[in-house]
Amino acid sequence: MKKKITLQIHGMECPNCAMKLESIEDRLKGVLRAEASYHKALLTVEFQDELTSEEAIRAEIARLGYQVV
Amino acid sequence: MNILLAFVTGLTTGGLSCLAVQGGLLASSLAGQIEKDLQQSTAQSRKRSRQNPSAGSKPQLARPILVFLLAKLVAYTILGLFLGWAGQLLQLSPYMRAFLLIAVGIFMLGSALRMLNVHPIFRYFAFEPPPALRRWLRRKAGSGADSPLLTPALLGAVTVLIPCGVTQVMMAAALATGDPLQSAALMFAFTLGTSPLFFAVAYFTTQIGARLERYFMRFVAIVVLLLAIVTIDSGIALAGSPVSLTRWFNQQLMGNVQPGLVDYQPLEGGNSTDQVITIRVQNYGYEPTFIRAEAGVPTRLRLISKDVYSCALAFTVPSLGIQELLKPTGITEIEIQPQQEGTRLAFSCSMGMYGGVILFEDM
Repeated sequence: MKKKITLQIHGMECPNCAMKLESIEDRLKGVLRAEASYHKALLTVEFQDELTSEEAIRAEIARLGYQVV
Repeated sequence: MNILLAFVTGLTTGGLSCLAVQGGLLASSLAGQIEKDLQQSTAQSRKRSRQNPSAGSKPQLARPILVFLLAKLVAYTILGLFLGWAGQLLQLSPYMRAFLLIAVGIFMLGSALRMLNVHPIFRYFAFEPPPALRRWLRRKAGSGADSPLLTPALLGAVTVLIPCGVTQVMMAAALATGDPLQSAALMFAFTLGTSPLFFAVAYFTTQIGARLERYFMRFVAIVVLLLAIVTIDSGIALAGSPVSLTRWFNQQLMGNVQPGLVDYQPLEGGNSTDQVITIRVQNYGYEPTFIRAEAGVPTRLRLISKDVYSCALAFTVPSLGIQELLKPTGITEIEIQPQQEGTRLAFSCSMGMYGGVILFEDM
């Protein structure tokens, strides 16, 4: 089933961080769309919950060096 | 802002700041090249290269980095040309230029406070590319293996769309020049200045960018903060304010000029009540910076320049709408109407960096 989550991210220091976070779209199988906003410090992820989970997404965010608030 | 200052800014703060923002893009484009090299290697060397990718692919990496930087240099120079042209189209008067400088200064201040993480609201001082563009850039950066030089060239050129904080500041300064060539030269010098650090870091490792971002962002922020104060102060000075921090600082550097009636002389063969005020134009400002003159008499400003190549040549008296571009070496005379007693007439260069005040009194 398709799911959508919006997470508040800590540690984004410039607009490039948004691009880096959005790369989870390519890194995690099952992520359909990732859109980050540096201005709002938010990351919105659309994913297929049969293929991945919110926990996996959170772990990937942490791996990239950011924290979910 | 002069060309040398732009270059030095690029070499120091600009290099660090741009690396933080655009380094990832370059790293991604290089990843494609590394991947290609790895595919061509034997299974054994591939394994070694994966452990230390930069060691195995240095000769191949230098070219894409250079192509990336060259494309970036060309793109920013062209951007500079357009910015200067746009500034020229606006036909900036001294007051408009002053307003623009103050606006640029506020933008710089906001950028510095953003980098220092003072408050989330300052994040809006950074330009964020639209999601579609970010996605396209990311995909393009990841597909470098097919066209090893085309991708870095393309990515280098599109860095104009993701300028770092210091670059944005420089773009605003370029716009304020109001001259396409000067503006292009400014952007060229700045971008060229950013290149050595970019090249060195990208060449040795693709990971240092993130570390630099963390360690040096505060340093960059403080430099931008100082530049912001100077820019706002220049704008205030150009708006005709008799009080200016930059002028005070320049006076301290040039020695403490005692206020007084300097170089006052009646016009020879003219009306004996006319006065000539002689101002020496120098690379680092005007001398004297504080002049007492007689009120109520026709006055002529005699500006003497000798081998001057700074913005001091763009002489302005904002309150009278006077803008005069002086020759590097020569004498220019400007007539001004009799001034009322107590008038403080501020003059400055077109960027508000150098200037002085003439105080009109009854004598």
